This record gives sequence, structure tokens and C-alpha cells, in this order.
Amino acid sequence: MREPVWEYLIVNYLFLGGLSAGLFFVSALATWLQEEGRPAYPHIARWGALLAPWPVSLGSFLLIFDLGKPFRFWKLFITFRWQSPMSIGSWLLVIFTLLTMAYLWAWLDPEERTRLLNYLPAKVRQRIPAKAVKWLEHDLSFWRRELAMAGFPLAVSVGIYTGVLLGAVQARPFWNTNLVAQMFLFSALSTGTATLILVRLFDKKRPVALAEMRFLYTLDICLILIEFFIVLPYLIHGKLSVLAVQDALAQVLGGPFTFTFWLLFLGCGLLVPLLIELNEFKPVLLGRGQLHISARWATTAAGLVILGGYVLRYVFVFAGQASGFR
Amino acid sequence: MAKKPTKRYAMVLDSRKCIDCKACIVACKAENDVPLGVFRNRINVEKAGDYPKLRMSFDPEQCHHCENPSCVRVCPTGASYQREDGIVLVKYDDCIGCKYCIIACPYDARYHNPETHTVGKCTFCSHRVDRGELPACVETCPSKVRVFGDLNDPKSELHQLLASRRHQVMNPQTGNGPQLYYLL
Repeated sequence: MREPVWEYLIVNYLFLGGLSAGLFFVSALATWLQEEGRPAYPHIARWGALLAPWPVSLGSFLLIFDLGKPFRFWKLFITFRWQSPMSIGSWLLVIFTLLTMAYLWAWLDPEERTRLLNYLPAKVRQRIPAKAVKWLEHDLSFWRRELAMAGFPLAVSVGIYTGVLLGAVQARPFWNTNLVAQMFLFSALSTGTATLILVRLFDKKRPVALAEMRFLYTLDICLILIEFFIVLPYLIHGKLSVLAVQDALAQVLGGPFTFTFWLLFLGCGLLVPLLIELNEFKPVLLGRGQLHISARWATTAAGLVILGGYVLRYVFVFAGQASGFR
Repeated sequence: MAKKPTKRYAMVLDSRKCIDCKACIVACKAENDVPLGVFRNRINVEKAGDYPKLRMSFDPEQCHHCENPSCVRVCPTGASYQREDGIVLVKYDDCIGCKYCIIACPYDARYHNPETHTVGKCTFCSHRVDRGELPACVETCPSKVRVFGDLNDPKSELHQLLASRRHQVMNPQTGNGPQLYYLL
């Protein structure tokens, strides 16, 4: 078996980049959906906005740290090579991160911005011109929706790109299918949704409303179902494909990654949370009343979805590198 | 002025002559200062059968200097590039060590240099070739497995071997268009 050259830093990065894309996507969706001219799920939108920039920033840092020559990372930004997914992706990451920051800024209240300013040492603060300070007090709530709309394609691109980075390598049969990009995208959106479920459950100041939970559950159930619709064809198609692909897939169908893939990803990461969420949702589906919100079950489901998202990246990064044409 | 016909360097290997002496590997290491633990070329050994019906084959391999090198395509900075004569090289000063090319190479011909933290690979000894000499592995091979030359030069030994002998490339299904030709 080949020695992997991309290891946990890359696994973590792929997970974190996807998580940010998911957080932003769900937040943007919650902003875009309106009720009486205002965002339908403001708390979800705000939490998503507050969290989205950080995982991707940390992930990008890990990515740079993984380079053999970290101090040369700037060379990525003096070239653009459209045939290299990594080149496209590094530009995409920068634009997406900047946009999530702007979006975060738009979701802060003017008082919060002023409070942030007070964290600066007095010496620095005095040098900021009054005009700029005044600017902090502008009401940017109009921009929330605009930035959300602008960010949709970027968030989806970042989610897809983490998969394309692997899928565009024809030398590794385990990766070399468009299904990997789709898998990573929907898994990313799902982990984002799950994180927001967790955050809303633990937000004691503004307890989670039934409508919010219903929105998040609906989204997550759809996303997990889509993941099943991708991963099962991936396995079946792979099994019916040429020998190199069959050999590559043997790693999850009776090889070193079988346990991790089936039990931790498909079982704990997809099936169990799906069943829990469906069970909580059952009264709505059957038209017999309202959604359950059991904090314990919801936390379990969300935690497992996040775990599953991580395991998916782990399996793909390592199994993919071990695959080849001989 | 008529354009000079471009060269296209390639290598023909007659694996049946290989005796697994590894002189090519040593010559490459010495010529190119390849660090300990990594290699630019190797000899794939395949053993098959049960005693007394045994078979053993040696296939030397290195970078195939492909026609459509996937390593060059995925390089985000353009450090990996292909010369007009087909030789695939790395500009070490532009390599950021992302290792994407190592993963993208279907022939596992590239390595991460533990000393410089950039990516290294067979250069067909381009520094020697440019002086009109042969790559170190070709020059040193005692059983004359390797023939290096210009595909576009009809008078070259390489051209004539490929015209007169049956040959194959490794894993053509990669779509890379490998340029190490193995005589059958």
C-alpha cells in the first residue's frame, strides 16, 4: 500500500472548509426565507453568520501548515491555473472567507461593533478617525440578505470544491467520480445544519422555537436522504466498474476501511441520525401534532452527523491515496 | 526561417535484459544528489509461480514524462511544467510542497524531498541531456536495458527499436500518454 502524503491536516481542513460552507448556506437560507419582510429564522441566521468564518479560517491555516514550504503559500495568489482544482480552490477560499466576514459584520448590532472597538487598546482607538467610528453605527441589516444571496454560489462552490480537489485526480480510482464532489457538498451542508441544531439547543438566552427546529430538521433529513442517494450509487456503480475502481472500492467493501465506513459513517453518521430525526418528526409527517424537541435526542443526532462528516473525509482522504492503477 | 523540428525525448526499456543490479538507482542518486529514503527510479520485481515452475521479472521504472502529465495539470503554482522536448520538470523555487502532484501521478514517480520540502522527480537528467550526454541511468546500465533518445529523429536507435520491435507502455488507461516504452 502507498504511503499517504496527505494526512490528518488535510482531513481536518476538508471537514472545516465544508463545515463553514454548510453554516453559511443554512444561515443564508434562513435569511433569504422571509416572513413579513423579515428573515424567517433570525436566530439561526445570526448564529450561522457568527460561526461561519472561523472553521474555514482555521482550515486554511491548517492547509498552509501542511505545505512543505508554508512561507511560500503566497505563490498561490500570484497565479491562477484553471485546470488545477487547488488553484481554483485557494482563490475560492479567500473570496468565501472575506464574504463570510462581511456577512458576520452585517449581522452584528451597532452596539456590538462599538463593543468590539472597545477591546482595542485606548492608544490605537484614539487614532481611529471619528468618521470611521461613526461608520460602525450604520444599520447594515439591509445587506444581510444581499450578502446571503451573493454567498450562496460561493458556499456551494466551497462545498463542492473540497470534493473536486479529490475527484479531479484521475490517478486515484477511489476518488475519480463526480459523486465524490456531490457527497462532500451535501455532507458539508448537513454538518452545518447539525452544528446549528447544537448551537440553538444550547442557546439559553433565546430558547429554540418549534418552527426553527422544524426548519433545521427538515433540512437535515433532506440532506441525509440525498447523501444516501449518492453514496449507495457510488458503491454500486463502483462495484460494476473497471477493475481499478473495484480494487479501490474493495477497501470499504471488505478491506482496511470497511468498519469505519460502514459502521461509523453509514451507520452512526447517516442512518442513526436520520432515524432519530425522522422519529422526532413523525407527528408532523403523520399529521398528528407537533414536532418533538427532545434535547437529548437532537444533540445525539446532530453530534453523530458531525462525526459522520468527519469520518467521511477521513475515509476518502486515506482510502483514496491508497488506491491506484496497480 | 524554417522551424527546427522539436525533439521529443523518450526511453525504451528492454526489461528482459534487466538483472536487478540497481546500478541505475545508485547512478541516479549520485548524479542528482537524491536524499536518503527517496528514489527517482526503481526496479519493480514480480515473482510468480510455485517451485519448480517459477518466474521472475524486473521492470525498471521512473517518471514516464507523459504526453499529458496530470501532475502538471494539477500544480497550483505552475512549478511543475513540461519542456518543449517533453521532459517534465519542477521549478524548485516555485514549488510550495502541497504534494498534489505526488497524488495525481498514476505512476507514483514523485516524492517529497525531506531536505528541501519540495517535490522531486526524475528529470531525464536534463542537465546532462542539454550537454548532449545520456541520462546517468542509461549510461551506467551494464546490461544495456535502457535506450534514451529523440522520438522525432528517425535515425535514432530509439526510433528504430520502436519501429521494429513490439512494445507497450504501462497502464495506458491512465490517459497520461506515458513515454517509457517497454519492449516485449
